[in-house]
Amino acid sequence: MSKAGEYLLEIKDVCKYFPGVVALDHVSLSIPYGVVYGIVGENGAGKSTLMKILSGVYTKDEGTVIFDGETIERTTPIQALRRGLSIIYQEFNLVNTMTVGENIFLGRFKETHGMKGTHARARELLDSIDSKIDTHAVVGDLSASEMQMVEISKALSFDSKLIIMDEPSSSLTQEELSKLGNIIRSLRQRGISIIYISHKLDEIFEYCDIVTIMRDGRVIDTKPVAQLSRGEMIAKMVGRTIENEYPPRTDNVGEALLEVKHLNTWKLRDVSFTLHRGEILGLVGLVGSGRSEIVRAIYGADHADSKEIRIGGQEIRVKQPWDAKKAGFALVPEDRKREGLILPFSVESNISMASLEDLTHKGVIDKGKERQSAQRQIQALGVKTPSASTKVLNLSGGNQQKCIIGRWLEREPRILIMDEPTRGIDVGAKYEIYLLMNKIVEAGGAIIMISSELPEVLNMSHRVLTVCDGRITGEFDPRACSAADIMDKAIG
Amino acid sequence: MKKEPSRIVKFIQDNLVLCALIVLAIVTAAVQPKFLSAANLTNIMRQLWPLPFIALGMTFVIIGGFIDLSVVGIISLSAVITAISIDTFGQVGAMALGILSGMAMGYLNGVILTNFGAMTQAEVLFITYGMSSIYMAIGLMATNAETIRITRSTRSISLFNALGNGTLGIVPIVLIVFVVILVLMHLFHTKTLAGRGITLMGGNKNAARLCGFNIKRTMRLVYTLSGLMSALGAISLVSRVTTANATCGTGYETNAILCVVVGGTSLKGGKGSVIRTMIGVVLITLLGNCMNMLGLSTYMQTVMRGAVLVVAIWLDNRKQL
Repeated sequence: MSKAGEYLLEIKDVCKYFPGVVALDHVSLSIPYGVVYGIVGENGAGKSTLMKILSGVYTKDEGTVIFDGETIERTTPIQALRRGLSIIYQEFNLVNTMTVGENIFLGRFKETHGMKGTHARARELLDSIDSKIDTHAVVGDLSASEMQMVEISKALSFDSKLIIMDEPSSSLTQEELSKLGNIIRSLRQRGISIIYISHKLDEIFEYCDIVTIMRDGRVIDTKPVAQLSRGEMIAKMVGRTIENEYPPRTDNVGEALLEVKHLNTWKLRDVSFTLHRGEILGLVGLVGSGRSEIVRAIYGADHADSKEIRIGGQEIRVKQPWDAKKAGFALVPEDRKREGLILPFSVESNISMASLEDLTHKGVIDKGKERQSAQRQIQALGVKTPSASTKVLNLSGGNQQKCIIGRWLEREPRILIMDEPTRGIDVGAKYEIYLLMNKIVEAGGAIIMISSELPEVLNMSHRVLTVCDGRITGEFDPRACSAADIMDKAIG
Repeated sequence: MKKEPSRIVKFIQDNLVLCALIVLAIVTAAVQPKFLSAANLTNIMRQLWPLPFIALGMTFVIIGGFIDLSVVGIISLSAVITAISIDTFGQVGAMALGILSGMAMGYLNGVILTNFGAMTQAEVLFITYGMSSIYMAIGLMATNAETIRITRSTRSISLFNALGNGTLGIVPIVLIVFVVILVLMHLFHTKTLAGRGITLMGGNKNAARLCGFNIKRTMRLVYTLSGLMSALGAISLVSRVTTANATCGTGYETNAILCVVVGGTSLKGGKGSVIRTMIGVVLITLLGNCMNMLGLSTYMQTVMRGAVLVVAIWLDNRKQL
């Protein structure tokens, strides 16, 4: 069929049901040719379900999908690709041990007439998006941003008319992000449409032409971005108005609580710093700067060649996480799914797993106490879950994160380390996590926070350290400096 | 809206293995009435050993997210050690020595695995396979590849005879011993902190470690348990057949894994129970007995066993969706 109508993709009244849940409720969208189309919504709003229907991972239960004039009933991921619809997931779909060229044309080497043709075509595609990556480089050695370039080239290799980007910026630095912005603009000029899904509203405002706001499986509003304010957008996403994105800063910073001296690992060089009671200390650095390594080494999760840790003036030895936990540390890890949670386990066992010793008498776990402790945290943190025995994988990102925080609150830690505490979490839940952080420091605890979102660090912390290349390069008072000053030191 | 499955359908879906077991027993009983005779059932209970012990130990390893192929070597070597030490240490001493040697071999596996940083299924698979060869070879050297008959021992072997043939009423003594151990192990797994540690490790070892669980210690624990159970199995085997040789454990590793998986313990780790494994043991044993009763050839029986394993894993994967 020829190009019928003015829209590249028309979705009409699409519904999708999962047992007990309406995931999509009569969703309609129309995406013209050559636009960047933003989709925003809290976790669980139905964005991913919709994208999975488009890419053929799920099948729709009702409604019509018309792509480029062609009505699509059922599709598979490979058919969708061949039709010109690519999706780039947050976790890339690449084979780490193969080269860039091989990844772009994976399974299609015949079409490119062998390896030579493969690499030549890959080179052309990479050049077309101004990328200088060697097509013979092994993908596992690339940075997150370079992997994204490979994914985009792969999408282009299918002559894609529509590229869906799911949270494309989550692992990118500021600089890499602006490069991505340039690529997005040049793709749009070539007539390719892009669906841009992100929690980061700044990016939506910067790159998108039109935005659709979804909530609870429904389309709430679709508008040109220029006609929306940030406040309106947030209000529509959460269904209520949020006055501020950040709660007011607490003010009860006390004496020194934690001193770290001469921390050395294969990655870190002589890191020393102090953390005070009642303080939120922000660590800022690019991905790979060593910011996560600092906290992991302190916590005993990674090997340290040398370190000196004092809590309240007293030296403690931390060889493994168990020692850190006993000394009053708690760690909310960066990768919630890989290091934080046991996804197929219940909310209850995910919450209780750090405090089980306290619930154990002579080696036997007191199940009643375990249930109580889980209930206590579910209530205190407002975890939205049908019951304590629900599998944690069925919860939204924000509620999962609350489970991890609750797990540690049960132990009343003195020093809480939070690595990317709000990654992939929607606006409403973010605010609740900020409030929790304030509560902890008000109660006399201290928090080390790592975050790639600079506004978050600037608004939440009392002090900011910049990390670059395994060293601490600067110390700032976020009340008296600009984001540019901090980024300057973080880039090194 | 999709309909929620009714409760009966859901029960069948969740307990397919148990249902298959019942269907199998009914079909066989209908075709071959001898199946339900007292003689046949007693025979099954006598021929069962040492599989339940091995499967019990294997369950902990698999719930912990790993696998243990070294049970072949451990059964063989501890059977040999038990049999040859009766003359020197007496029957109680021999049993104790067999059990200790099994635990030591299991512990050694754990030490090697943790210190060599073997953390993936494939590495664990091959290292335990290698350890199995070592243990078996030691047994071969110790016995000159000869079979040892405990009936020729100069000292009393009354305990072995009791375990091998003795009954209390109509219940074999070895079954009573086993049920006691099973109950203890079940309580250990479900009630204690260490038992929970195994499940959490199988669920996500990184998360468990960051929550203060000592993963290396837990790994050593599951392999020591597997070694202990293999040694107990070896003793039950020696008692039943009154001989031991350095390859007598051959084949039990795959059968044990089969029982664990058929019982519904996930090979991905973190999910399962020793009770479920026992359902697996009963099913696999009955399957063998039924196939014999129905007159299937040995080769066909092997085909069926393989098919059952594949279907069990497939069912487990389907459940995770």
